[in-house]
Amino acid sequence: MKKYLAYIGVIVVIVILAAYFLVFYKAPETAPKRIVIYAYNDRITGIDPSLEDDTGLVVLGAVYETLTYYDHVTGEVKPRLAINWTSSEDGREWVFYLRRGVFFHDGTPFNATAVKISVERARDIYRETGRGLGYIWDAVEEVEIIDEYTVKFKLSYPQRLDLLASAAYAAYIFSPRVLEYSKASHYTDKALEEWFNRGNAVGTGPYKLVSYDPMREVRLEKFNEWWGWKEINNPHAPDVVIIKIITDPPAQYSGLIAGEVDIACSVPRETVKDLVSRGFKVINQSTYHNFILFFNTRRYPTNITEFRLAIAHAINISTVISQAILGFGTPASGVIPRGFPGHVEGLTYPYDLEKARELLRKAGVEIPVKIELLYQVDYEETNKFAMIFKSFMKDLGIEVELIPQDWARLKDIAKGVWTDPENTPHLIVADWWPTIPSPFDYLYTMLHSESKEWNFAGYVNPEFDSLIYEAWELEGVDYKLALKKYEEAQRIIYREAPVIGLWDEIRPYVHSNRVELPEGALNPMYMYVVRFELVRVRS
Amino acid sequence: MPISLNYLLKRILLSFLVVLGVIVFSYTLLILTPGDPAVKWAGNPRGPGAVLAIELARRELGLDQPLHVQIAKFIYNVFTGNIGLSIAYKVPVTQVVASAFTSTLELLIVTYLFGVPVGVVLGTYSALRRGGRADSIIQTLAVVLASTPTFWLALIIMIILQAVFGVVPYGRIDGRLAIATNFKPITGFYLLDSLVQGNYAVFMDVFVRVIPPALAISVYPIGVLTRVTRTLVAEALLEDNVRAAVAWGVKRSTILRRYVLRSIIPPIVQISGLSFTYSLVDAMVVESMVFGREGLGSVLLDSLHKADFRVSLALIIYLTIFYIVVNTLVDILQATIDPRVRL
Repeated sequence: MKKYLAYIGVIVVIVILAAYFLVFYKAPETAPKRIVIYAYNDRITGIDPSLEDDTGLVVLGAVYETLTYYDHVTGEVKPRLAINWTSSEDGREWVFYLRRGVFFHDGTPFNATAVKISVERARDIYRETGRGLGYIWDAVEEVEIIDEYTVKFKLSYPQRLDLLASAAYAAYIFSPRVLEYSKASHYTDKALEEWFNRGNAVGTGPYKLVSYDPMREVRLEKFNEWWGWKEINNPHAPDVVIIKIITDPPAQYSGLIAGEVDIACSVPRETVKDLVSRGFKVINQSTYHNFILFFNTRRYPTNITEFRLAIAHAINISTVISQAILGFGTPASGVIPRGFPGHVEGLTYPYDLEKARELLRKAGVEIPVKIELLYQVDYEETNKFAMIFKSFMKDLGIEVELIPQDWARLKDIAKGVWTDPENTPHLIVADWWPTIPSPFDYLYTMLHSESKEWNFAGYVNPEFDSLIYEAWELEGVDYKLALKKYEEAQRIIYREAPVIGLWDEIRPYVHSNRVELPEGALNPMYMYVVRFELVRVRS
Repeated sequence: MPISLNYLLKRILLSFLVVLGVIVFSYTLLILTPGDPAVKWAGNPRGPGAVLAIELARRELGLDQPLHVQIAKFIYNVFTGNIGLSIAYKVPVTQVVASAFTSTLELLIVTYLFGVPVGVVLGTYSALRRGGRADSIIQTLAVVLASTPTFWLALIIMIILQAVFGVVPYGRIDGRLAIATNFKPITGFYLLDSLVQGNYAVFMDVFVRVIPPALAISVYPIGVLTRVTRTLVAEALLEDNVRAAVAWGVKRSTILRRYVLRSIIPPIVQISGLSFTYSLVDAMVVESMVFGREGLGSVLLDSLHKADFRVSLALIIYLTIFYIVVNTLVDILQATIDPRVRL
């Protein structure tokens, strides 16, 4: 009997406690905060401001600042941490005048020393180990501090340093005190890199890093001492930003519907209409993210120019765009996307089956022929493209074997074009987004014969190589002439077709009515970065 | 003492060998497949320095050494608890793994706290009404439940909740509520963490969110346990001691509690343990793909995509250890509660 009473007693106590908490408990009241939840589609690969090369950009772009900012609408370079700059006639000396009254998140004043160490760190690590994207500072021979707010760059060859200083990677300025915090012996010490990647950041940006879990979420908090608040005058800016990692597009869709995501960058494209009908707003953002088809130029039959051109003319890109990406793209003209410096119109291959067949005859390739297509399996659009492409090639009598792979394996297989071309697929679909606002970024990386890690075509053309190096140096002296050289280089690529541009992506950013994303909050140069300081949160 | 020291030592040695075998096999497989971890570790280098960067990264990761040396070093690192940093995320592998494990484990614990009693009650009821209408309904239901694809059911639950109740069971926690109530994860088990902090708003929020996926995953253990319990109870009811008790006029509820249910606990524990590890796979599939919860499945897949062999291997090893520990615990528990079992 006693035993039963004890049981009943325990149950009664549990029930009373549960009822009490359910009925009377209220969440502790705290000051209302404007919280914005941004659903991002990948886990964060690191937040070292000098070394990060990938998804960390989404955090770096909010926490750190660069000397200059690339305005994608006007194509101009705008002041940021530098308010003005001048260059010598030969483009080998650049002086940047820095903004005064700027503070890092730790309270340290921003000055020329911070610029010097930030640039030198990215450059030196690249020079010593080849790591990161510090190649953008390759020309910098010396960073000279003229005074607290003036810094002079001496270059070994002419460069558009104002453009380079606005890069999406490797151009962020961090507090000189990070050395002390991380107990690193030098700025290139590995201990500093590990300190950053453990979730530490000391930038000057409008938001400071509060918590960092690269697998789940990153939390940012408004930095009230940011110099720009008085300039943008946005009293409705979020107090807290949560960058929530939601890798599955359907889950981003559900997040919006559930009211737990305010801004989503990767909803399934087929759900966009539904979201609009539910009252969500969509910004169809033109991006510099494009998809490219590489031909293995070192293996038969894709080593024959006419064969490559035949394939180019047999792809109906409008069908691809409407079916594979539901209209969220524009047909590419060359490998440099629309709106990006150096883009050239008219570098498309019109869909013309007759012409394709004629080129095929000229190529002398016996039909039927079998070729392989390597593509990224975790991109919905490349999967669909592969299917559609296969049916296009059937019209030409070309059989396509599809080889889906994830990115890491795709890259490993694709670069085999240099060492084992006979066992590397004939065609590879890859995508790209830039680091610096220069055509060099696309053309050098994907097509220069030195770039053995990314030139999946195995393309070698000394004339093209020297043209883009020439243009790269000319950027610092005669920008217009440099663009002409880049155009010339692109016309060579158009004629020889070692690669063909497929489409430039349009990315639908969907947001709820709780927030407003004004123009300028998204910039294709800084992929996936939302300028939260411009976002308005409705109370 | 139902468990001998000899048995325990044997079991530990065997488990150690299994883990070693899993490491050697998985490491070899992961290293031999295309996808160079050194590229990611070097930061996807571009420009003329790229080749040097990848070479240095390969050296730093020890990938330039013969395979057997790499494996030996990795085994040493695993057993000294120093697997290093994740290739893709540059944070300690243990942090990546722990973060994924706690989420999935919490979901599974809730699933079984719900699924086991339901399965046992249904099975017992069915056995007591065997041959009747209720029995056939429950038996049919059990077969349907055990053979329902979890992924499909998860989608159906999601659609029903959304269409009928206008609720989207999404994610693990309400981010805004967590900030507003100053919730701080401690162990990674949010239900526990919120209780420890006395944050009942977050507790209720996390609890409500865990129910739909738990419901989807629980159908398998409910189906299996219902069938097993029915058989066990039916058999127990025919035992001599039970029949004698009935003849002596002992109360029906006493017979059920004292003679029947007590005797079926050990096999129920064993079956629950086995299906727990099976449900782990179900959880890995539905948690992130349907309910937007982070967990083991998405992290494992992602690490494979990104050639992050350290995270992939750590997850495989910890899952193996988890499997072994659960099974060992079940055996020990069985020996402890069933005097007939000697280990």
